[in-house]
Amino acid sequence: MNIFERVKQIVADILDIEEEEILSQTYLIRDLGAESIDLLELAVSLNAGFQIEIKDDDIFLRKLRRYLEEAKEKHLDQQAYLADQYPFLSASRIAEILRVLEGGPVLAIEDLVSYISYYQNK
Amino acid sequence: MKLCFSGSNAIVLGGSSDLGLELAILLIQEKIFPLLTFRNKAGEEKIHENLKSYEGLYQVAYCDFGKKETIETLFDKINHPLDFMIDIAHGDFERLVCSADNSDVDAYFSENISARAEIIKRTGRKMLCNQKGRMIFISSSAVENPNPGQGFYAASKLASEALYRNAGLEFKDRGITTITLRPGYIDAGRGKRYLQSRQRLSSAGIEKIKILTTKEMAETILFFLSDSAAGFTASAITIGEHLKKIEQGGSI
Repeated sequence: MNIFERVKQIVADILDIEEEEILSQTYLIRDLGAESIDLLELAVSLNAGFQIEIKDDDIFLRKLRRYLEEAKEKHLDQQAYLADQYPFLSASRIAEILRVLEGGPVLAIEDLVSYISYYQNK
Repeated sequence: MKLCFSGSNAIVLGGSSDLGLELAILLIQEKIFPLLTFRNKAGEEKIHENLKSYEGLYQVAYCDFGKKETIETLFDKINHPLDFMIDIAHGDFERLVCSADNSDVDAYFSENISARAEIIKRTGRKMLCNQKGRMIFISSSAVENPNPGQGFYAASKLASEALYRNAGLEFKDRGITTITLRPGYIDAGRGKRYLQSRQRLSSAGIEKIKILTTKEMAETILFFLSDSAAGFTASAITIGEHLKKIEQGGSI
């Protein structure tokens, strides 16, 4: 089972939804209504499932908006600043995040997969 | 009444204390395997000496709240489900609020609040794996009626209580519960030392109040770990009386 399939299974289990409802681009909070306690449970399950350390703030992009503010204050390029903070996200994904930011929380299933994939190979 | 327990593994922080040891024996008798923490060689030896007839039925681990890396090592050592956590560990620091050294205050709060937050975090995440668990924090009735010099102690206990209470609130739908017990004076540890230092005052009032024995307190903790007490969560319960009440009466 690949990382995406396993993540999908874990998320479906925690949120008590059908796996079919979950796509790579599905937003965890915006689309699936995940709450803080669900994310905590998800972090614990991902840690147990993939045997890697999960830093909640990083994997759930919790400081994203703060980083954007910091970049602005320091007159830095926001995309480059985010790439430094979130090395597991691709440039195209960061660009997409910046595009859809106004719509609400941007955390997507693919971000969890990227995080796990990045730190598994590190 | 026969007590039933949903779990078979416990960690006792402050396991070398008189109360920790008394509790360990009760846990072992209930077929619950305790991991007892100690923070120095003397503590480790005290545990083995007191529990020598229970060899193989308990485990010990070094944990010093002042050394954060020992918290990580402690939890790395727990490779089994964690059902119960009893937090008896708490540092001594008696100073008048306006006379304490700033760096001592920083260190005290770091050890007794920040380190505890990490302990709760790690315990909660461990328990979340199995969707069940019970945490009991042993606070003190001094949080309600502190004596002069107990401001930092009471502040750190109250802050710790708040962390446990919130963990209980946050995990309420995840099978993990927390409770704080606030005993009055116990004939162990800090309470025992306090009472001994004021023996001359015993005829003036202390004898009039209930002083808990370690056995009574350990049995109380055991009850709150049992399924019978499962309904208590995210709350604090005061047990016994605090000496302050006598002091306010002018006897001391």
